[in-house]
Amino acid sequence: MKRFYFLIPCAVVMIIAWAGCKGGSGGDSNTIRIGVVTSLTGSNAAFGQAHKNGYTIALEEINAKGGLLGKKVELDYYDDQSRPDQAVQGVSKLVDQDHVPIILGAYSSESTRAIVPVVTQKQIPLIIPTAVADNVMATGSAWVFRICAGSGSFATATLDFLKNNGNPKTLAIVSENTNFGQANNKSMTDASKAAGLDLVDAETYQASSPDYKSLLQRVKNKNPEAVYFASYLLDASTLMRQAEQVRLNPKYYTSAGTGFAAAEFPNSDKGAGKYAEYTFSVSQWLPSAKWKGSADFDQKFFKLTNTHPAYHAIEAYAALVVAAAAIDSAKTTQSQVVRDTLRQINLAETPFGPVKFDNTGQNAHPVLVTQVQGGQYKVVWPPDAAENKPILPTPEWSKRQ
Amino acid sequence: MNWFYSTLQAVLNGLLTGALYGLIAMGMALIFGVMRIVNFAHGAFLMLGMYATYVLFQSTGISPYYGFPLAGAALFVIGYATYLGLLRPIRGQVDFMVILLTMGLALIITDGVQLIFGADYHQISIPLLSKNIRLGSQISINAPWLVSFAIAAVLAVVLYFVVTHTMFGRAARAIAQNRYAAPLMGINVNQVQAISFGIGSAAAGIAGSLLLPVFYLFPEVGNQFKLKSFVMVVLGGMGSIQGAAIAGLVLGVVESLTSLYWGNEWALAVDFVIFILVLSLKPSGIFGSQRA
Repeated sequence: MKRFYFLIPCAVVMIIAWAGCKGGSGGDSNTIRIGVVTSLTGSNAAFGQAHKNGYTIALEEINAKGGLLGKKVELDYYDDQSRPDQAVQGVSKLVDQDHVPIILGAYSSESTRAIVPVVTQKQIPLIIPTAVADNVMATGSAWVFRICAGSGSFATATLDFLKNNGNPKTLAIVSENTNFGQANNKSMTDASKAAGLDLVDAETYQASSPDYKSLLQRVKNKNPEAVYFASYLLDASTLMRQAEQVRLNPKYYTSAGTGFAAAEFPNSDKGAGKYAEYTFSVSQWLPSAKWKGSADFDQKFFKLTNTHPAYHAIEAYAALVVAAAAIDSAKTTQSQVVRDTLRQINLAETPFGPVKFDNTGQNAHPVLVTQVQGGQYKVVWPPDAAENKPILPTPEWSKRQ
Repeated sequence: MNWFYSTLQAVLNGLLTGALYGLIAMGMALIFGVMRIVNFAHGAFLMLGMYATYVLFQSTGISPYYGFPLAGAALFVIGYATYLGLLRPIRGQVDFMVILLTMGLALIITDGVQLIFGADYHQISIPLLSKNIRLGSQISINAPWLVSFAIAAVLAVVLYFVVTHTMFGRAARAIAQNRYAAPLMGINVNQVQAISFGIGSAAAGIAGSLLLPVFYLFPEVGNQFKLKSFVMVVLGGMGSIQGAAIAGLVLGVVESLTSLYWGNEWALAVDFVIFILVLSLKPSGIFGSQRA
């Protein structure tokens, strides 16, 4: 029996070779496959799932209208497990094996920054739905296009809001230690200096820790009037619960969206619940947004998931809509032509607002400021978009019931 | 005065976190002491304990503070079976085999849980969570952490007593001292090792139960505790369970103080600085027992 054992590795090699060939077709001639890299597992899975729901809705709409170039559209997902090295592998797999003409993703700024050089080298257009760190656009690559607003706009929108609502003089920044947090940390540091604010503290943390009480105590000792958080969802919930425990009482809890803007954040089963109340966040979109199709998207999303979407889902939706529009008007899936078409694209009406890329590949998208009021995100800034007035100053923890 | 209270608060927080670290580390130390196995699936067992507690809470409403013995029992059975089914067949092979096996097991467990429960994270909400005990205006202790501290402390004492004062404990220590002489003294090595592996896994599972209310869970949540518990086992003197318990408390306090004085981003770095210092200066561990 033992002498046949050498056959096992042979069999494994054959199976792998077979699987490799099988994946290599790049879709048969009746379909167009679009590559997607996102975080379906790992600590950012909640956002990856939001992406997937957004993509699913867009895909259904596109195929209901007969697909693209007379072919059915399929999405080719690669799960980066919330890890940048996996995102890079994903791009290689999607391009080299599956031969997709265009890639959408990734979810996080960390993963996105890792794949920008790879798509540039492989000459495949990348549409970035949600990565807000401004350094993902800083390589000058001609192959990347970003749907969402970046960390610089987050900082200026927040400061603009603060200036016009009580004008605090001191600020502390609390940011998670990967690219998303650090890019927002840098943007806010620069912008607050330019705005003449006194930056009394800047804290960086590891996003998976169960205990931030010492960190929050440090912030409390500096006594800032406003705090600006750049956090993912799980850490945002832990931070706000523990802010109550250490009784950190700034006048303003502000944030760079993401965790503080996630649909789950104000709910008590999956987020911070009542501890989310009164926190401010930048936002890129809400179901109540003025753009045509917003309410329709909200309905479709609700039908699919029984929850209302946050902006991460619609940014994914918009990314696929834009990719489809580009392929449609390019009349080919040839990457270079699709890229050139993307540069010219000008969609006046999407549920996410108008989409048009400047010569760096950035879409000019307005940033709103929301506050959690009664468990709901309400737009409080700028005035022309505001639904409610901001509740200020934030009540101290001991005075809440 | 402000800094005095901050420091006191940080030490308290560190002790509360450290008690859970200690419980995790004691489980790993027991396994390491009796079997010389570095169990890389320890974090996955902790995660299984969290899911067991979560399922129990969701289906029957039993709070983790009452449900933890069930999670512990489930993990004991899983650990026991893991030893008999997977580890015993490769006893005597090079250590590398054992490391690969436990790592592989961790992957299978993590992905299996993901297959069943999905990758999405969960958390539970119990009334105790919003209770804080305030001492004066400066010091506050979150009630769930205090409860889990008390439970972990009791379990640590029980475990210590089991290892030092029972027939099983004597047999386990005999095996730790000399694996070849122990069977000659009439000790059923397989049985004792399987029970040790079960108890070690149960400790990780119970720590998971106690962590659940104050944390969140997703299939990969155990990973960060895997390396940390290895650091504590080394710090506590390779396989000494009382050493591991104390190492857990020390690590909790050191992390908390580092976070207060230098910032949270240094807390993890300090873990590994300690790890390297201990390995290079005093490899028998700070609480250096004579076992080796």
